[in-house]
This record gives sequence, structure tokens and C-alpha cells, in this order.
Amino acid sequence: MLWRISAGLILWAFGFSLLYALQGTGCAQGWDEVAFAWTTMLRAILVTTWLLLVAASFALLRLVRAASSDFEKRVTTATTLAGALALLVTGSPVALVSACT
Amino acid sequence: MNALRRHRVLEAIWGAPKGWRGTVVSVNHSDIGKRFVIAAFAFFAIGGVLAMMIRAQLATPGSAFVGPDIYNQLFTMHGSIMMFLFAIPMFEGLALYMLPKLLGSRDMAFPRLSAYGWWCYLFGGTILIASMVFGVAPDGGWFMYTPLSSKAYTPGINADVWLLGITFVEISAISAAIEITVSVLKLRAPGMRLDRMPLFAWYLLITALMMIVAFPPLILGSILLEVERAFDWPFFDPARGGSPLLWQHLFWLFGHPEVYIIFLPAAGVISTVLPVLARTRILGYGWIVAALLSLAFLSFGLWVHHMFATGIPHMALGFFSAASALVALPTAVQVFAWIGTLWNGRPELKLPMLYLLGFFVIFVIGGMTGVMLAMVPFDLQAHDTHFVVAHLHYVLIGGFVFPMMAGAYYWLPHFTGHTRDELLGKASFWLIFVGFNVTFFMMHLTGLLGMRRRVHAYPEEAGWTLLNLVSSVGSFVMAFGFALFAIDVALHVHYARRRRRNPWTAGTLEWAMPIPTPAYNIASLPTVSDREPLASSPDLATSLARGEGYLGEPRHGWRETMAVETTSGAIDHVVVLPGNTRLPIVTAIVTGCFFLCLLAGQYWLSLVPVAAVVALGLRWAWVLDWHQDIGPLPIGRGQTAPMHREAAGPPGWWGSTFLLVADGTALASLLFGYAFLWVIAPNWPPPERIEGGLMSGVLAAVSAAAGSLLARRCLTDGAKGLSGPARRIALAGVAAHLVTVLALATLGVTALPAPQEHAYAACSWALLAYALLHATIALLCLAFGCARIVAGQVSPQRTLELRVARLFSDYSAATLAIVLACLLAPSVMS
Repeated sequence: MLWRISAGLILWAFGFSLLYALQGTGCAQGWDEVAFAWTTMLRAILVTTWLLLVAASFALLRLVRAASSDFEKRVTTATTLAGALALLVTGSPVALVSACT
Repeated sequence: MNALRRHRVLEAIWGAPKGWRGTVVSVNHSDIGKRFVIAAFAFFAIGGVLAMMIRAQLATPGSAFVGPDIYNQLFTMHGSIMMFLFAIPMFEGLALYMLPKLLGSRDMAFPRLSAYGWWCYLFGGTILIASMVFGVAPDGGWFMYTPLSSKAYTPGINADVWLLGITFVEISAISAAIEITVSVLKLRAPGMRLDRMPLFAWYLLITALMMIVAFPPLILGSILLEVERAFDWPFFDPARGGSPLLWQHLFWLFGHPEVYIIFLPAAGVISTVLPVLARTRILGYGWIVAALLSLAFLSFGLWVHHMFATGIPHMALGFFSAASALVALPTAVQVFAWIGTLWNGRPELKLPMLYLLGFFVIFVIGGMTGVMLAMVPFDLQAHDTHFVVAHLHYVLIGGFVFPMMAGAYYWLPHFTGHTRDELLGKASFWLIFVGFNVTFFMMHLTGLLGMRRRVHAYPEEAGWTLLNLVSSVGSFVMAFGFALFAIDVALHVHYARRRRRNPWTAGTLEWAMPIPTPAYNIASLPTVSDREPLASSPDLATSLARGEGYLGEPRHGWRETMAVETTSGAIDHVVVLPGNTRLPIVTAIVTGCFFLCLLAGQYWLSLVPVAAVVALGLRWAWVLDWHQDIGPLPIGRGQTAPMHREAAGPPGWWGSTFLLVADGTALASLLFGYAFLWVIAPNWPPPERIEGGLMSGVLAAVSAAAGSLLARRCLTDGAKGLSGPARRIALAGVAAHLVTVLALATLGVTALPAPQEHAYAACSWALLAYALLHATIALLCLAFGCARIVAGQVSPQRTLELRVARLFSDYSAATLAIVLACLLAPSVMS
């Protein structure tokens, strides 16, 4: 149960760390200076990763079905939604602001 | 057995001898909890006196009350004492005292660990205070930023006192965190499912888990900085590939969750006290659990907001600014649940409620200024000004001190068995509330007018004189309020009238026992079928005193309590806890000797206490011997349960697992530091990298994997009762770990550059030292398991030591593989 009610937030923690690590590594490696489609390689990687993470975190709502009590269902729904919304909001700078300056 | 006879027998089993001997040997959670609370309040008083000296200095422009050197020590020690010696230990004390009582248990899971943590806290705190007396107190600010705290700019031992003293104290924090986690998960009354736990236990569980993850980065950072200062390993020196920002990251990785680690237990007090005084049940139990889980996770995504002014790219600022604003939402959910509970009930304006109302006012203001500071443009303006000082005091005093004062008045009858009228308490509340707001509201204004933090003087023409004077007057008013509180508590303890059980008509289990509580808490353990057992069964206390619950018949002088299945609360096993012993204080004294050797620069001599601590640790585990299988034990109500040594998941196994979680976080922090320096720090790549060492590395990895496999095989044979083969395999495992140790040492000596040359080499040596240490620990665990087999203390039912040895062998092999990958990848890939 403890795993289930924490899963959405664990995914947020993983996603948040991943985006921060990718941004730091990408800037150090100069990926922001490599053109890719209509943007830079760094931004393309970051935006794609972010969208995949957000999709995965909403998909985690399926965990609610496995909950064995009303309490667990309520808490799992709330924390999974909190994790998904947190990923949406805290990851949004990948699409909005400059990456390396 | 009648109730009085039962009381006498249980008191003899669980109590401690009178006088100094009892003080030294007691491991009882009530004794240790009360000591933590009293000592934390004493440190609070010392920190408060320092604060008054700071305000005396700043009351007038250009004051000559103290010079800059002393002033630096004053504000550094004030912050360090309040954070490390007051707030965390105060919550630990409350948790140690209260948690078993709330959970319907007789003690915490590891009583000797509680006692060890207490002595470490006392000795570590004493070292810090003694340094102040001798004029060598830390003076680099409570967050010890490098390069100011590096050897070049702090050549004396001031910074060493902080780094070693705080690390010593942190041993107690990690001990308490593991203790609380395992106690909440396992040592509950039968029937207490997770969703029937008192909210306070949820708060403490999540706080303890946060501590297990948050404290290792600080401990690691302190070790790295101490090693840099002592041996010139340049982790934070940019000229040799280090970075001062690495220290900031490691410190705030701990430092920001720390704010919530302080707030959450106090919020737990609110969620416990407020519904009782509102004469209703808490509103939104499930939502509060979800909110505090969210808060716990999000609080780990805020640390960079302390570093907004360090030149970090906009995108990274955006991540942390968004997380910093977002964290207000789960906090708000809790605040609305409390307001809803008040709205739903019939609140009584008793003294604890007064402090809760004070909390609401102050904490909401602190939260608002927190959201302001989460916005990067505002933060850049207000950074390092008194606005930040005002904000953090509104959050910490509002969010911690006021709820804890409410808790103090709520639970004082439980501690003392007395109650008294509220007149003096109300007077102290108003002095504290008014004094606090006068002191710190003014600091918002001086901060916005540009007054920097940590300045010891300011010119008259700056225009801050009146505001500072008012602020200083307010601080003295507040100090009078706290003094009055101390007097009120002393009168309560010594002169108040006796009070009946459960004076607040509360529903939680701590009120189902006599007050003041006997050493064993409750004569028999209840079956819980409601979140407020006393509300649904008003006669529960009497029934338990008559021995009608579980374990109502004491036997063999054992300290028995029940352990349950983690989620469902179903009966799992009986835990027989260790009794009074001198081991905790002796081990803490020897641990203190280690830190004092380091402080004195006697590094070789420090190996003596290290060896003594290892020997004491083995003794610690060895004395828990059990020479025969016991089988199912009767526990009352016609039921039986196995004893913990014959159960699948005893507390010892859980404790080892959570210790490894903390350990893994330390390794993750070290790897983060290594990667951070590699990517961000100047003067990379290093002039010299690892050369060769592949064969030693492969040998170390293979032998560690063999050690892990042999530990598993040893456990399998032990569980089958094949003690001869198990012993031989354990010996082979010990040999495999010894080969790992030797191979790692060879790798370091033959292939790595000198650690003083560059941060790359320093990090590589640190990683190697980590792997070496854990291979040694795995070796010792398996050797201990082998000795247990030889002594006939392992049977198919009793395999705990072998399971723990397997755990540490697996951990050692896995982390060694990661470390070797990091060490050897640069040379293999180049």
C-alpha cells in the first residue's frame, strides 16, 4: 500500500531529477547549440522527456484500481494526481525559458 | 493476577534503578524522550540568550556591545543550536516519549539505539557549547558556506567544531529516524491498520522517512569538507576542479527538506490537539495523509531556491521556483482541513487552542512571504536581507514553536499527572505572541529597506534605527514570555494538583494509561478497531489495566510488546526487547572520543576509538543471544504468535534495511557530487586520470559478487539446519570479502592519482573509500553470522543474523559495481 500511495510522487521525484540532470548535462555538452527540427537538440530532448513523463504519471492513475480500501483509493488518487500536476508545472520551464543562460 | 500485582511485576521488568545508575543504564523510551525534551529546551534557552545578544547589538547603530568576531560566533551558534540542538531533538523527544503510547505499544523498536542517540546528542551538543565558552565556536554562518569555511579563510578549529560536532549530533537524528520508522510500521497495537493510525503517527512516519533521505547529504558534505580541511582533498576548491557550489547543493539538499522535517511533527501535534479541543474528529483524514505525502516529496525539489542568486540558468531556476510555489498547495490543504475541523466542532478556547490560533496567524504570514521569496525576481531583491530572516522565523517559530507549545500544554498532564490553572500560561502566550510579531514584523521592513543579514553594525544615516530598536524591544518581551512559560511548567511539575486520567476526553490511546505513565505504558495491549479507540470504547483503560488485552501476563522478566503486519495491523509476532544496559553510553563515549581525536588533529589515534566502536557494536549484537527455539508463545485471548527471532520480518531486519536506505542516499549524494563537478566545475578535465587498475577492479567485483552469493547460500543452509556447511560457506564468504578489500586497496594505491591533485582524484578516492568501508562491513557481518553458527545460535527458525549478513553483502556488491563503473569508465572509454 505504501508503494502504491507514493508511486505518483516517486515518479515526480525521478522525472524532476531527470529533467534537471538533462538540462545540466545538455548545457555542458553544448546540445543547446545543435539545431534540431525547429528548435535545438537540448530543448527537443527536454520537451519530449517532459511530455513522456507527464503521460506516464497520468497513466499511473490505473494503480487506483488495485487499491483495496476506500482510504487507499482516495489517497492514491490524490497523490498520483498531485505527482502528475507537479510534473506538468515544475517541468513546464523546459518549453518556456532559455535553457543555458 | 490482579491489576496491582500486574503493575508491580511490569514496573519491575520495565523500570530502571533509582539514582545515577538508573540514569546511566535506562533505555526506556519515556526516560529517553523526557531527557531529549528537557535538554532541547535547555539548548533553546542558550540559543535564545544568543538571540538577545544579537538584538542588543543591533538595537542601536554602530553599537560596541560586541565586535564582529564575537558577533559572527553569536549568529552562527544561534542558528546551529536552534536547528540542530533544539528543533530536531525536541521533536525526537516528543516522538520517543509519545509514539509507543499513541500506537498502543510498550516501547520503541530499538530501545538501546534511542539511548545511544540521546548520549550522542548530549555529548555532541556539549562539544558545541564548550567551543563557545573557549572562544572557538563556529563563525561561518549556520550553513558553513565554502570557501569561507575552508582552511584558507577559517584556519582555526571553529569550522571543524561545527562539522564534527554536528555530524556527531546527526548520528542521533539518523538513529531516531530509523527507530521511528520501524516502530510506526511494526510496533502497533493489533488491529491498528495504517488507515486507523493516529494522524500524529503518519506525520512522524513521513518525517522519519524524510530524515533518512535528507540527512545523509549533509553528513556526506560535512565529511568531505572536513577531509578537505584536514587532508587538502580539493572537493570545494575551484582552482583544482572543485566547486563551492557543490557544498551549497549538498547542504540545501538537506537544508530545505529540514524545514519540513521541523514543520511536519508540529503539524502532527496540530492534527492531534485541534480536533480534541474542537470536540470533534479531524476533517479529511485521507486528504491530510495525501497532502503530507505530497509535501514530503515536493520539499525535496526546492533546495535550489536558496541558490537563486548564484548564477544558475533560467530553466533550472524555473524548475525550482515552480516547485517552491507548488509546495504551498499541500500545506494549504492541511490548513483548510484544520479550519474545517474548527468549523465542524465546538472549539474551546483553552490554553493549547490559544497557541494554535497564534500558529495560524504567524504561519500563514510566513507562508505568504515564502511564496514571495519563491519568485526569482523578488528573491534577487530580497536575497540575504533581513526580509529572509523575518520569513524564516515566521515559518519556523510559527510552524514549530507555537504548535509545540500547544502540545506542551496539552500533554503536560500526561508527563506529570498534574493540571493547574491557565493564568500564567495565558500571560506567557500573549508576551510571546506580541513580542514575536514586534520583533520579526519589523525585520520585513528593515529587509525591504536593504539591511543585510549578518551585519554586526549599521550607520545611523541608513534609516533603520527606530525599526531595529523596536525589534530589539520586542525580542526581550518575547524572552520574558518564554521565561514565564518555563516558570509555569516548573510550577506545574512541582505544585499543581493531581489529575484524573484523560483530562481532555481525548480518543487516542495515550490517554488510556495512568498519568504519569508507568514505565511499561499499558498493562495489556488493546485491539484497535477505530481511529479513536477511547471514543468507541470508553471502558478500554480499565479493561486493559485488568489485563484483558494482549500480553497481560508478564513472564520470565521479558520486555514484551506486539508487532503487526505493516498494512493490515494483523498480529505478526511478539518482540522481546533488550533491557537496561550501559552499552549505549559506553559506545557514545567512545564515539565521542573518535570525534575529539579528529578535532585535535590526532588522525592515527582516532583509529583506536574506531576499533573500539566496532568491538562494542559486535558486543551490542552478540548479547541478544537466544540458545533455543521458543515456538509459538501464548499472547492472551487464546491466541499465539512467534517470537521476533523466529519471525519473518523482525524489527532488526527492518532497521538494517532502512539503515541501508540512508547509506544509499549518501552514495547517491557522492555520485551526484562527482557528476556535478565533472559537468559544472572549472578546470576540468583533470590533468591526470586513473591509469590501469582494470584487473584489480575486476577481481574486486568478482570477489564481492562471490561474497554475496556465498552469503545467500549460507542463509539457505542455515535455514535448512545444516550448520556445518553454513559455517564453512560463511568462512568462504568472509575470505571473498577480504579479497575484495585487498583488491580495492591495490586499485587505489596503484592506479589512482594522489587525492590532493584534483577534485577528480579526491572524488575517486572518496568513492573507493566508500566501497572499501562497505566491503569491510559485509565481511564483519558474515564473520559475525559464522560465529553465531559456531555458538549454536542459528537454527532453521533463527536466521536473523544470516539474513542481515546477506543484506549487507548484497548491498556491498551492488554499490561496488556502481563505484567501479564510475572509477574505471574514464580510463576504459578514453
